[in-house]
Amino acid sequence: MREAHPTDEWMMKSNFKDDVCYKQPKNLDERVVIANDFIKRYKYPVPFGIDDMSNAAEGAYSAWPERLYVIDERGHIAYRGGMGPFNYDPKELRGWLAARYGEVQHPDAKPAGTQPGGAKPGDAQPGPGTPLGTAPKS
Amino acid sequence: MTLFWKWAIGIFLVLLLGAFAGLSVMAGSPKDAYGMLRYALPHMHSGKLKVGDDAPDARLVALDGSARFHIRERTGGAKPLVLVFGSFT
Repeated sequence: MREAHPTDEWMMKSNFKDDVCYKQPKNLDERVVIANDFIKRYKYPVPFGIDDMSNAAEGAYSAWPERLYVIDERGHIAYRGGMGPFNYDPKELRGWLAARYGEVQHPDAKPAGTQPGGAKPGDAQPGPGTPLGTAPKS
Repeated sequence: MTLFWKWAIGIFLVLLLGAFAGLSVMAGSPKDAYGMLRYALPHMHSGKLKVGDDAPDARLVALDGSARFHIRERTGGAKPLVLVFGSFT
């Protein structure tokens, strides 16, 4: 989706501090570069998709600048988070998921406290930056 | 220009400045207030989606920059799909 705080629009002090300085992408290639930089820096373990320059996904889900959704097994909106930044609440989503589906334990994750730093996000996950469109292995 | 209109314009400008000053305090600085008005507000839409609606479909691009796929290709399975929308900056 559109960058929220690119250097050529509304750049924040935190962009300098965190070294996240990019211009608003003018084409898909620039957007893909930024997405890959993000994946690499944070070793992001969750499957990832990039909105094309029509911003179709952003528009369909009114998602800018950040938002959380859950689509249930029947393809319906089951959870719709508040609009970011002030109403973007991952803890609320985590609580909602736990209430609806129960607490999830990843099969390979060790319980927190049994290894230095405890269980880390990304343990027992698909490889970093696994494309969302990758077909699951049978 | 009549005195009435001068006063009306003057009061309007004072209110406008006051609103901008208030927004500057909320946003952190006049620069951030301007940024919010110029770049953020035009793109922020609450939208009409509700819980229970059919999830809209959209085509996304994979990290390689060329493969394409649809959001709805990953729904309808045994597990729900969590969508985390955001940008790096």
